[in-house]
Amino acid sequence: MRKILHSDADCFYAAVEMRDFPQYRGIPLAVGGSADGRGVIATCNYEARAYGVHSAMSSARALRLCPHLTLVRGRMDVYKTVSRQIFDIYRRYTDLIEPLSLDEAFMDVSHSTACQGSATRMAEAIRAQVLAEVGLTVSIGVASNKFLAKIASDWNKPDGLKVILPQEVEAFVHDLPVSKLHGVGKRTAEKLHAQGLFTCGDIRKLSLQTMLERFGSFGQRLHELAHGRDERPVKVSRERKSISTEHTYREDLPDLAACQDRLPELIEDLTARYARLQGYRIQGALVKVKFADFTQTTVEHSHPKPDDALFEQLLQEGWARRAMPVRLLGVGYRLQQPGEGAPTQLKLFE
Amino acid sequence: MNLNVSREALLKPLQFVAGVVEKRNTLAILANVLLEAEGDTLTLTGTDLEVELVARVPLETPAPQAWRVTLPARKLLDLCKSLPAESQLQFSSEGERVLLTSGRSRYSLSTLPATEFPNIQTDEQASELFIPQSALLRIIDATTFAMAVQDVRYYLNGMLLELKDRQLRTVATDGHRLAMAAVNSEDPVPGVQVIVPRKGVLEMQRILEDTDSPVRLTLTTNHLRATVEQYTFTTKLVDGKFPDYERVIPRGGDKEIVADKDSLRLVLTRAAILSNEKYRGVRLTVTSGNLQVLANNPEQEEAEENLPVDYEGETLEVGFNVNYLIDVLNAIKGEQVLIKAADANSSALVRDFDDETALYVVMPMRL
Repeated sequence: MRKILHSDADCFYAAVEMRDFPQYRGIPLAVGGSADGRGVIATCNYEARAYGVHSAMSSARALRLCPHLTLVRGRMDVYKTVSRQIFDIYRRYTDLIEPLSLDEAFMDVSHSTACQGSATRMAEAIRAQVLAEVGLTVSIGVASNKFLAKIASDWNKPDGLKVILPQEVEAFVHDLPVSKLHGVGKRTAEKLHAQGLFTCGDIRKLSLQTMLERFGSFGQRLHELAHGRDERPVKVSRERKSISTEHTYREDLPDLAACQDRLPELIEDLTARYARLQGYRIQGALVKVKFADFTQTTVEHSHPKPDDALFEQLLQEGWARRAMPVRLLGVGYRLQQPGEGAPTQLKLFE
Repeated sequence: MNLNVSREALLKPLQFVAGVVEKRNTLAILANVLLEAEGDTLTLTGTDLEVELVARVPLETPAPQAWRVTLPARKLLDLCKSLPAESQLQFSSEGERVLLTSGRSRYSLSTLPATEFPNIQTDEQASELFIPQSALLRIIDATTFAMAVQDVRYYLNGMLLELKDRQLRTVATDGHRLAMAAVNSEDPVPGVQVIVPRKGVLEMQRILEDTDSPVRLTLTTNHLRATVEQYTFTTKLVDGKFPDYERVIPRGGDKEIVADKDSLRLVLTRAAILSNEKYRGVRLTVTSGNLQVLANNPEQEEAEENLPVDYEGETLEVGFNVNYLIDVLNAIKGEQVLIKAADANSSALVRDFDDETALYVVMPMRL
């Protein structure tokens, strides 16, 4: 039986701002891009959430919902420092940490000896130490796998702790809405609802065979999750599949020539980002174009040494798909996975 | 009791016998060599309980009486090696010690009781085969390189010895490449397959000479014994099932390439310098009349070689671990080599163009 923690800081960026600037406390606050540009909300505090503001919403819309919302620009460097402090506290309990973002991580404490090996007490200790040393509240879920731990951390948010004991898994999962399952977004949820599947209990009534027939290989995954099973290990470092950079322009780029003018600075930024990355080989190049009507397209080509001409060619190809003003351009490298592309010696007996 | 023996008569057999003795031992006496003198023969025995080598040294001066003693193998060998050539050695017992004197040199060596020296017990039922030493040596030499080293598939860490269809065959494989060699036997042979452990193969190889005089092979359920004039070598057999090697020897392979062996070996050896040090991959591209060898490494260095070959047909492109190819070319004696291949995913058959008694199979590498 594994012991997995999922830890998530409560409205992280906003919480850091409220910690550092007392005047932001108790009023609706959001961190994000400005509303007159095309900014979006990165995080907002609970006061703002009461007005229906949420992350990834455009700042303009957030201000319409909550006109007295205080909108501040993010201070990424500060958040990164705070994040390091929080992860340093996590590392007192285990080295098996899988970061999901600056404020969110899975921890495998199955073999940790701290707190006599009690995962619940480790979670309590982490929460107390983050509050005392960093001045922020984190919510933690404790369970026997990643899927349950993640749901648990959200259960008593903010400033909450939720433990799902092995003997509780059965009952806990039974009433869980399917929309809470990892990998089930809006579309899949609709599909499940249409078939009368609203909770994990509903899925459990169906055989694995039926789930496979109706939903393919994802059906098997759903079947496992609905039974509270999730064998995914806590991965210490996530493999990068690509590296990219993109820019949303204040005003739409009217034509291909305007897009081409912007390409060199994007490539330069990409090259710098790639240089900071270690141990990855380039497998191909990609260009992303988001048009004024919000449709977007990505063009990709395999090449171990992409040059500017290749990016130009990809841009041309991508732009031509709709041939209209462009609001966002992105360039990236597809990366070779470690071990991938390595020669494989074929075997005689197999 | 005095035993006289010349350094020259003792040195080589002692070297072979001490070679069997392991450096680290669970039993103290296994670090010793057993010396037994009787009449005009001195017998040396070394063992690690898996293999045992007995050497017979003729004595010019017969031993005055039967004498058995064990002496530290390594030290005795080092002393013999470092004494001057043509020295006469004299052994004499002094209680628990043995005194070795030669000219003005005197060495007092510790002993362990000869009665405690273990000997490998072989069972009775045995089949026997006589073949010329040179023939056995040839088929062992042709295949040893392909044996696995410390593979978890323990049955690959050795050599298959097979008696079948009036042939004695040796087969070795590490799972990536395979070597097979055969010699005809005049006697009808019983169908039997045994796996000789790696160490057993290498030690047996040492006592065989390139001569027509026969070696007597004795097979029991658990042991193989090889006897030549001066030596008797015994090894335990590996208890395991060797893979069905005949299944992986390609019968098809429509693309036949004939190349000058030495030129090909040189080309591969050079190109290998710029191959990836870890994977050792090279890409071979065969077109009519030409074999191209390409290699590159993570430093982006590149090697290209072209060699005229005898080939007509479609272009064949296939990758290999260059070491596997070089190993095969080193084992082949003739001037020309024949390579039969089908495609980049199928095994290639390599052999001496003029000799079908040894076959080599190499699996490609996907680059």
